[in-house]
Amino acid sequence: MRCLIYVEHNGGQVAESALQLGTLAKSIGAEAVGLVCAGDGEAVADLTRQLSGFDAALGVADPVVSAYNAQAAAKALTQCVETQAPDLVMTSYSTAGIDLAPTVSIKADLPMIGYVLELAIDGDGLAAVSMVYGGKLRAKTEIATPCIVAVMPGAAKAEALAGQPAPNAEMIQVDLSGLAMTVVETLEPESSDVNLAEAEKIFCVGRALGGTEKIGVAEEMAAALGAELAGSRPVIDAGWMPKVRQVGKSGTKVKPKLYFMAGVSGAPEHLEGMEDSELIIAINSDEQAPIFGKAHYGAVCDMFQLLPALTARLNAGK
Amino acid sequence: MELGEDERDIDREWIGLELNPFDDQALEQAVLLKESVAARVTAIAAEAEGGERMLKTALARGVDEVRLIELDEEAVQLSSRARAPLYAEAIAEIAPDLVLTGVLSTDDLYGELAPLLGAILDWPQVSAASQVTQKGASVTVRQEYSGGAAAMVEMQLPAVVGLQTASRPPRYVPGSKLRDLLKVEIPTSEPSVEPGADLADATTLELPDSSGGAEMIDGNAEVVAEKIHGILSERGLV
Amino acid sequence: MTTLILWIVTGAALALSAWRFWRLFSPLSAARPTGRGQQLGARLSFMIGDIALHRRLMKFSYSGILHACIFSSFIVLFSAIVESFGSGLFPGFSLAPIGGNTWIALLQNLFALVIAVGLGMAIYLRFAAKPDRFKGSKTFDATVIYVLAGLIVITMILEASARLAIDGQGSVWRPVSTLFMLPMVSLGITGHAAERVEVLFYWAHIGAILGFLVYIPGSKHRHMFTAAPNIFFRPLTSKGQLPAPEEDAPGPVQAYSDFTWKDLLDTLSCTECGRCQSVCPAHAAGKPLSPKTLIMNLRDGYLTDQGLMQSADHALPIVGGTIQPETLWSCTTCRACMEVCPLHIEHVPKIVKLRRSMVEEGQVEPLLQTTLTNFQSQGNSFGKPPKQRARWTKGLSYKIKDARKTAVDVLWFVGDFASFDPRAQKLTFMVAELLGQAKVDVGILYDGERNSGNDVRRAGDEGLFEMLAAHNIEQLEACTFKRIMTTDPHSLNALKSEYPTLGARYEVLHYSELFLELIRAGRLVLDPRAAKRVTYHDPCYLGRYNGGFDAPRDLIAALGHELVEMPRNRENSFCCGAGGGRIFMEDAPTGERPSESRIREAMALGDISTFIVSCPKDVVMYSAAAQALGVETELAVRDLAEMISETIATEELVAP
Repeated sequence: MRCLIYVEHNGGQVAESALQLGTLAKSIGAEAVGLVCAGDGEAVADLTRQLSGFDAALGVADPVVSAYNAQAAAKALTQCVETQAPDLVMTSYSTAGIDLAPTVSIKADLPMIGYVLELAIDGDGLAAVSMVYGGKLRAKTEIATPCIVAVMPGAAKAEALAGQPAPNAEMIQVDLSGLAMTVVETLEPESSDVNLAEAEKIFCVGRALGGTEKIGVAEEMAAALGAELAGSRPVIDAGWMPKVRQVGKSGTKVKPKLYFMAGVSGAPEHLEGMEDSELIIAINSDEQAPIFGKAHYGAVCDMFQLLPALTARLNAGK
Repeated sequence: MELGEDERDIDREWIGLELNPFDDQALEQAVLLKESVAARVTAIAAEAEGGERMLKTALARGVDEVRLIELDEEAVQLSSRARAPLYAEAIAEIAPDLVLTGVLSTDDLYGELAPLLGAILDWPQVSAASQVTQKGASVTVRQEYSGGAAAMVEMQLPAVVGLQTASRPPRYVPGSKLRDLLKVEIPTSEPSVEPGADLADATTLELPDSSGGAEMIDGNAEVVAEKIHGILSERGLV
Repeated sequence: MTTLILWIVTGAALALSAWRFWRLFSPLSAARPTGRGQQLGARLSFMIGDIALHRRLMKFSYSGILHACIFSSFIVLFSAIVESFGSGLFPGFSLAPIGGNTWIALLQNLFALVIAVGLGMAIYLRFAAKPDRFKGSKTFDATVIYVLAGLIVITMILEASARLAIDGQGSVWRPVSTLFMLPMVSLGITGHAAERVEVLFYWAHIGAILGFLVYIPGSKHRHMFTAAPNIFFRPLTSKGQLPAPEEDAPGPVQAYSDFTWKDLLDTLSCTECGRCQSVCPAHAAGKPLSPKTLIMNLRDGYLTDQGLMQSADHALPIVGGTIQPETLWSCTTCRACMEVCPLHIEHVPKIVKLRRSMVEEGQVEPLLQTTLTNFQSQGNSFGKPPKQRARWTKGLSYKIKDARKTAVDVLWFVGDFASFDPRAQKLTFMVAELLGQAKVDVGILYDGERNSGNDVRRAGDEGLFEMLAAHNIEQLEACTFKRIMTTDPHSLNALKSEYPTLGARYEVLHYSELFLELIRAGRLVLDPRAAKRVTYHDPCYLGRYNGGFDAPRDLIAALGHELVEMPRNRENSFCCGAGGGRIFMEDAPTGERPSESRIREAMALGDISTFIVSCPKDVVMYSAAAQALGVETELAVRDLAEMISETIATEELVAP
């Protein structure tokens, strides 16, 4: 079985989620073939060198894909699928994956599944487990090959292939003319004193915070804990905290020693950004909150009662 | 949440449906575009439980026109993949410059309507977008990536945008506006294309294994605080 | 000559004062109407009684007494004013023939002392005792009034003293003036000198009175003139009925003229006494709301809008400019402020009117927005489908009737919290079992019920309230029943006080009334042996709004418990903090939560085992508060239903 993997990258670095796809492909005994789209041959070669354990790589060098361009990437992947006829196409369930998997599914007329957590060979086809309803349910689907799957980041460990040799890219020609889309500017995450990615302790609050007038309670908690303060997507979207403090799919991916969270229900997009934390403690007023499935310790209570109590205790213990 | 007996779908008897929050954002963004650049906004939905009410809400929020795509009764649970061609047909008729829809929905295997529409209509498409601004025959959106990275992307119209965040939080629709619309007839259209093929028949649902979840701490706020403090001290985290 | 001068200054002062009043009050004619021109007799007699007896003022006894001192003195001393101006303007005029130099003079002298006591008490209160309720009031204005009132009285006394000093003869009818005559005489001020001094004090007296007259329109002492009409035009509708948007001008309040003229008169009548502030749960919790400052700000906003005041803080728009949205969202609509206001100012309707204008703009507190959206889609605050409403009936020992299908005696309007909240559900279940035991012919609306809309209306969404109410009324109209019963005071208020304006009149009972009736009729047999020392919290919408004070107390007594009242009881009950849609909004701790203040109040009674409540929201609020304070083992929060259940005699004892 030949598996074509769309390799996402940013700033010359292959995304960890792309490497995870390699691991997942190998785990079902498939041949992992990376598709690397970059601005020139050198960039393609640099990126390909990072694809440890991949069996092969295809390279597309074109200035229009030096930064990710949804339409160009979809054209490249569709043409590649048409010419290479892989048994399986994989993307991450990331922004690019959301753009690409459905588009290629229509253009190349292949069945597609998103939100994939697990994948296994099942007779002639595949059996996939996806999470739906924000992780509240699992969906098992039997799917015939060739097909496309968009895989949740974190579904496999990238480290599994670390140290293995990387392939050389075989350059292919695709037609990327007639684009109706231009990337005008790429924006790096705003740099600031806040560095969630490196923080050892993070205190994250969710929507239950309710508004900026109550942010003091959260700040005091973070200070007492010696933790960076972070927020989930609704908190950032509502403008209660700056974007640099966002943890999750569209924010920062974190791996602290302690991830303490209050009022975060635990949407998959959030879990994706913090599930590798060493110790996760979650409080939430809803006993059904999905976060309790991921946390190491949980408590059902009102954050505005617990936080002051815990803050007082921590401050008293100092 | 409970499963139906055949494990093909959830038990809808006991649940309430609401507008997907991303679609809520898309609707707000459309109304904001109406307010800022005098866009004419049409909201469309395919028949589903509460679909008509949703379109009335859209009218109350300020859209100019609505359209409900009629479906057979057994088809109201169709996935986004299956519905995509029906929407595409309606969109082709309405011929807008810009299609806005929520970036994700979580109630089926696909959850991504915008790229499906983009591909079917052969229009440029960007998902996970915010900050939609129009200039002449193009729109510029901000596409959000993981890790806080983003790009400003310019698209020639017509285009499809899978919206993540509107420029401001969705507004509240007062009951008075809804009440005024109670008796409004929602125009409908009958699709002439077949729903898209999906994998609904090859899917079974199950509840996730909840064992292995968090060890729960019981008690009032003081007790919980004490126990959390204990856990943190034990591990040398405070 | 003197007469002419007096005519001129009096005329000028009257004209000036009248012009000032005119500028203040004439814009009221452009405001919306109130429709309160009926029942004039009832209005008048209540007004006279209320003013004469100081009914509300006496709730704060020290202030009430001092006000009575000053108020009564002003009436008596008005005779002195009549005399001064009468004699000056119409030479020859005198009160002497009817006792101006005898009993009237004596009364004037005595009440000069009374007002001195009153003013002294007022000065002590304002400058020494300084209760919190004065915070934010205008001290300067109060000071000016004390000085002017003092001057009027002193000059009146001294004028008479000087007159007596002419002959050096005191008068038994003027003991105080005689007292002050003595030093004059000893200083040699007699004869012509005394006449000159008399003239001096006469003009000082006239000056003080006219100064007062001119000053009053711009002062909180306007209430001398506005209190009476303000009380006269108070609402006579049931307390639980919010004014609907006016039919001819249904738009939300954006300009001051969108208020009713009575709303504006309220603001101009406010005396800044701060009684409302001192009983306000939101203010006590450190929320940005004081009913007093709200009224003062609306007044200053109105004055600024009319160009009678220059204040950047009081510029338009009303919401967002003069009054902040957070202030408006802080109100629990508990009505404590309105109940205590001596002038019957209507704070809550103004807050709701301004909330309506925010809702109309789509500007709603974030969590409230979610809840209101739930109401729109599912008809309840929990966002649960209507089908789940009667899920709590699972496991009942009998099948509770569907009132839509069979005629029933009692239709039980269950309410949202009682239907969906897990803690309240247990009590609902218990009530159902008790009704079953008492063989009450009861039915519910099952999935036909929607939220009554009481709190939705108070959150400011009038349209949504009307939709919810219309649905419920349609359901109720199709049923056959004798009475409606509910455990939820909020539903009670809507059904009893709000729905009648929509044409739906029912006899509505609180479960405390129904159970009292059942016990008295012997349909529930009690075994009141395990008596406890308990206290009871009056829910706002049962007590203050609908007068349901006695049934719960009688019920507690029937159960054999000893009821120890908290200091704040009956109409002075302290809100739990959940009303008016507050329970749907975020409750960040900015100060002491009202519910926790209440639990502390109960704890301070000493040796109370049980805190009894009679509202599903109270169960939730006070259980959480007792838990937060860590006193849940000492003080059990119990619903009336639980109290009845545990006191009910066992099956065998119940007569068949």
